[in-house]
Amino acid sequence: MSKPNMQFSKIRLSRRSFLKASAASAGWLMLPGMGMYPSWAQDSRVLRVRDYGDPQSLDPGIASNLYEENVNAAVHNKLIAYKPGSKWAWQLEAAQSIEQVDPTHIKFVLKPGITFTNGFGEMTAEDVKFSYERIIDPELKSPIKGDWATLESVDVTDKYSGVIVLNKPFQALWMTTLPYMGGNIVSKKATLAAGGKFSAMPPCFSGPYVIKELEPKQRTVLARNPEWKGDPPGFDEIHIFPIDDEKTAEMGFEAGDLDYTRISMSSYKNMKKNPPENSVVEKYPSLYYVWLGMNMEHPKLSDERVRQAVQYAVDIPSILEAAYDGVADPATGFVPPGLVGHRPDTLVPFKADFAKAKQLLAEAGYPDGIDLDLEVRNKAVYIAAGQVIQAVAAQAGIRMTLNLHDSGSFWSLGDESKGDRWKKLQLVLNRFSSAPDPHYAAQWFTKEQVGVWNWERFKNPEYNQLYEKAMAEGDKDKRDQMYRRMQELMEASGAYRFITHEAVPVIYTDRIVPALRPDGMPLLRYFTTA
Amino acid sequence: MNWIKQFFFRLYHEPMGFFGMILVALVILSALFAPFLTTHDHNALDIANRLAGPSAEHWMGTDQLGRDVFSRVVMGSRIAVWVALVTVSMSLGIGLVLGMMAGYGPKWLDAALLLLFDTLRSFPTIMFALALVTVFGPSLQTVVIVIVATTFPVYGRMVRTQTQALGNQEFIVAEEAMGAGMVRILGIHILPNIVGPLFIVASMDIPVVVTIEAGLSFLGVGVRPPTPSWGSILNDGYAYIRNTPWIIIFGGLPLIVTTLGFTFLGESLRDIFDPKLRRDL
Amino acid sequence: MLFYLLKRVGLAVVIVVVAVVLLYSMIHVVPGDPASVILGPRATPEMKQELHELMGLDRPFVVQVVSFLGKVARGDLGMDFFSQRPVAQIVFKQLDETLVLVLASIGWAMLLGIPLGCYSAVFRNTFSDKLVGFFSIGVIAVPSFVVALYSLLLFAVTLKWLPAIGAGESGQYMDQLRHLILPAFAIGLGWVGYIARLVRASMLEVLNENHIRRARAFGLPEHMIVFQYALKLAILPTITLLGTGIGRLISSAVFAEIVFARPGIGKLIFDSVVSRNYPLVMGAVLVSTVLFVLSTTVSDSVNAMLDPRVRERL
Repeated sequence: MSKPNMQFSKIRLSRRSFLKASAASAGWLMLPGMGMYPSWAQDSRVLRVRDYGDPQSLDPGIASNLYEENVNAAVHNKLIAYKPGSKWAWQLEAAQSIEQVDPTHIKFVLKPGITFTNGFGEMTAEDVKFSYERIIDPELKSPIKGDWATLESVDVTDKYSGVIVLNKPFQALWMTTLPYMGGNIVSKKATLAAGGKFSAMPPCFSGPYVIKELEPKQRTVLARNPEWKGDPPGFDEIHIFPIDDEKTAEMGFEAGDLDYTRISMSSYKNMKKNPPENSVVEKYPSLYYVWLGMNMEHPKLSDERVRQAVQYAVDIPSILEAAYDGVADPATGFVPPGLVGHRPDTLVPFKADFAKAKQLLAEAGYPDGIDLDLEVRNKAVYIAAGQVIQAVAAQAGIRMTLNLHDSGSFWSLGDESKGDRWKKLQLVLNRFSSAPDPHYAAQWFTKEQVGVWNWERFKNPEYNQLYEKAMAEGDKDKRDQMYRRMQELMEASGAYRFITHEAVPVIYTDRIVPALRPDGMPLLRYFTTA
Repeated sequence: MNWIKQFFFRLYHEPMGFFGMILVALVILSALFAPFLTTHDHNALDIANRLAGPSAEHWMGTDQLGRDVFSRVVMGSRIAVWVALVTVSMSLGIGLVLGMMAGYGPKWLDAALLLLFDTLRSFPTIMFALALVTVFGPSLQTVVIVIVATTFPVYGRMVRTQTQALGNQEFIVAEEAMGAGMVRILGIHILPNIVGPLFIVASMDIPVVVTIEAGLSFLGVGVRPPTPSWGSILNDGYAYIRNTPWIIIFGGLPLIVTTLGFTFLGESLRDIFDPKLRRDL
Repeated sequence: MLFYLLKRVGLAVVIVVVAVVLLYSMIHVVPGDPASVILGPRATPEMKQELHELMGLDRPFVVQVVSFLGKVARGDLGMDFFSQRPVAQIVFKQLDETLVLVLASIGWAMLLGIPLGCYSAVFRNTFSDKLVGFFSIGVIAVPSFVVALYSLLLFAVTLKWLPAIGAGESGQYMDQLRHLILPAFAIGLGWVGYIARLVRASMLEVLNENHIRRARAFGLPEHMIVFQYALKLAILPTITLLGTGIGRLISSAVFAEIVFARPGIGKLIFDSVVSRNYPLVMGAVLVSTVLFVLSTTVSDSVNAMLDPRVRERL
């Protein structure tokens, strides 16, 4: 997941229209026995899924949201793609073969016969070169430029093969660039004909599906690509509904309007216990990370002991129980379990230690406690978490005021380019999304990010050095140690209290077989019927 | 004191008003004595007992953080009554001053104020509220500003019309001719004559105001958590509507009691004192 | 009368302009930046700057307002930078949904409220009249969003008789109708009370007028008098009430649209305020304000036509 997703996913842009595409099982589920809808409708080969928002830019080169990628992944091809399943891995997609010849050279051979629609011909190595090199072209101003930051060039060997040349080794390439947003291949000819980039409807497609219909706030319709020669896709059409709110999506699912959706953590247990008829409820580990951040440059928090007092006054188990319904596990940093760089433990125990917090506060010159502001996004789960933090911290003499923000206001809180608000920022309950390589999350906490996304204003030279080194390090164990150390540095600064990676509960009808990444996110092109 | 006796006598024989008065008394008493009525600390978490159903221990169950819903509902009455009192008296004051200025002042002032009233009224309330909340951020003060800004024009317009009507009456014209100052005319002759109907309208406005506060808090743009407002209790409940419906049920009840009570009482007051009065003059 | 109309329309235009300026200035003191929301965290400062220029946010405030008003006068509400579609297209699409909801609400409220009012007037001061009065005031008082929540809980979540959310598949009328019932019920309930009371009051006035008494003297049956003669007159205040009621209806539509997750202009405004989608906020608020001002203007003018005294008041 890209970070942008964390932002957009919470903006309520969606027109929550629950469309009963194909009149499906809706009435049938809602009105048992009334038989208002014919059952044949269920046979319809239409997949109805929910995503957080509308795709805004459908040019893979300038797209940066997960829900744009979910569409793009189905209508374009990449050399390699994430493999559905419970372990993070990749599989070949447009490439017939691909190998890392040395730390800075990757050789690939395309499958012959992949064609672009609308007469734009067969996909060649030239298209790969064009697609990847344009992302680092300053002209395009691509938001995913960072994913290809170390790209030198793509050299074309012959019609189907070429070499990706890096100017320095980049480990995250295999897990976060090639199989993700940065990996989509567009037609050189068609894109140039469209003026070098496009924002709405792409000029052509090469995936198993094509975009048939774009109705902002209503739905995006994908249809089978008639020119697709690979394995036939599972559905005639895929309808993607933009619904930001999980509770709404749940009701939509129960009404029979959806075949697959992510559900809220607070509904998971009940839904698991009593799933709606003909449905499957599952839980996946998530890559998101939630933490309480502290602005180290705020006068009240400049003393390390005050920050540590806050760390000790936050009780992770009660947050997880109350706000996440006991479904999520505590986090030790920004790397979730199962990935390189995951820390097994934290310096500050998960359980709050009020005596220790009080003692630290007293040492810092606040024997009577301290008043602090906690900024929270206006969403049920964060408000709940915020209130738990507030109530528990009060026992250690830390009196917090909760300030709620809608997304527009929240995401500019620590942004120096947006006035002086960052100076007043004290505590913030934050949440970023991530990708299956620690490099992705690590990039936001460098000193260059201070005042951009590093709202804690954490500046640590050792962190920055490790960040650069870990990016290129080929030895898995060494790399693992480096990222662990980086997260330890963050926690030791006192400015971070890591809370959880959340969890991704999903629900789907038993008439489909979903293809999900290990974190429960959909790989729509691989969905099939049961 | 005769009129008070008469008032209660009339009210007693007006079953609707009597019923209304009982409900209003219930709300006001619970607001006054809230700390003595609550069975638990309304903000205390009890995470082990979260989302528990109604029981002898928790009469209205607990919410998602294990807080006692009954205690929060009772404390919520304080917010509702406080917001109602503060906003209605502020609107009344502002409306009175601006309305008299418009009704008695020069014509350009009248036109300008009228335009202000009409413009403010021409915004659909909730959109206006949303816009204001995004400027000031959600808090109790913002709620007050929103409500005052959207309700005072009604009073202003009403006062203006009444002032104009009275200002043209012979005894005022005569006083003016005798050189009476504006303050004297407005203060002695006009104010006492318009204040009665104004109070009745104000009493009928209370349910409206309580509804706006609860509505904003329901949308998550009202009072700051963890302050219990009936609207925010409803908001908490909305997320858990499927499995723990009692939060919504008990969060909505006090709102219904309050709005019904004040409306019944206000209607009866109007019937008793000023049957011709219409809210939307 | 023509003079009155001119003045009234002039006032309406001024109100709309003032409203736009007011809203525009409010929006621009709001903290938060649309560019960072649109572009996402990976946006570079240059990209944000470019978008600012594209949206015209870099120009002086006055210039922005004037250019916005100028465009509006030409029927152009601007572009939505999130979806890259004309604002007008999005707003009017959502407006349809809201209008359907509002009309359905007011429709059933009239269907029930008018007969109730007539019944009350005919049987005035009886027990059932009192009961209707009690009911009317009661439903007026209860906040519509509480009605919405309770009916969602009862009919959709518990009994599962009706769908909980959405507006139904476009083109499938039965489905849309089923989705319409609960929100329309929630919004319309209070109006049943309003209308019943208003019809009762004006019916009582009308029934006392001379020609009705004469009709009665001729021995026409009471129901015929009420429904054939009196109702035609007694319904007028209700019609004008509807004019001024649009604003309130749109406000309650916001709640119904949020509770039932229905598309509509109220929901659109709420969502776009939250995401700082200025062009959409402006477009949607402008359209709903115009709608509101338009309806009050029309109802005031109708009033003025019927009652010359009103003309002098403006």
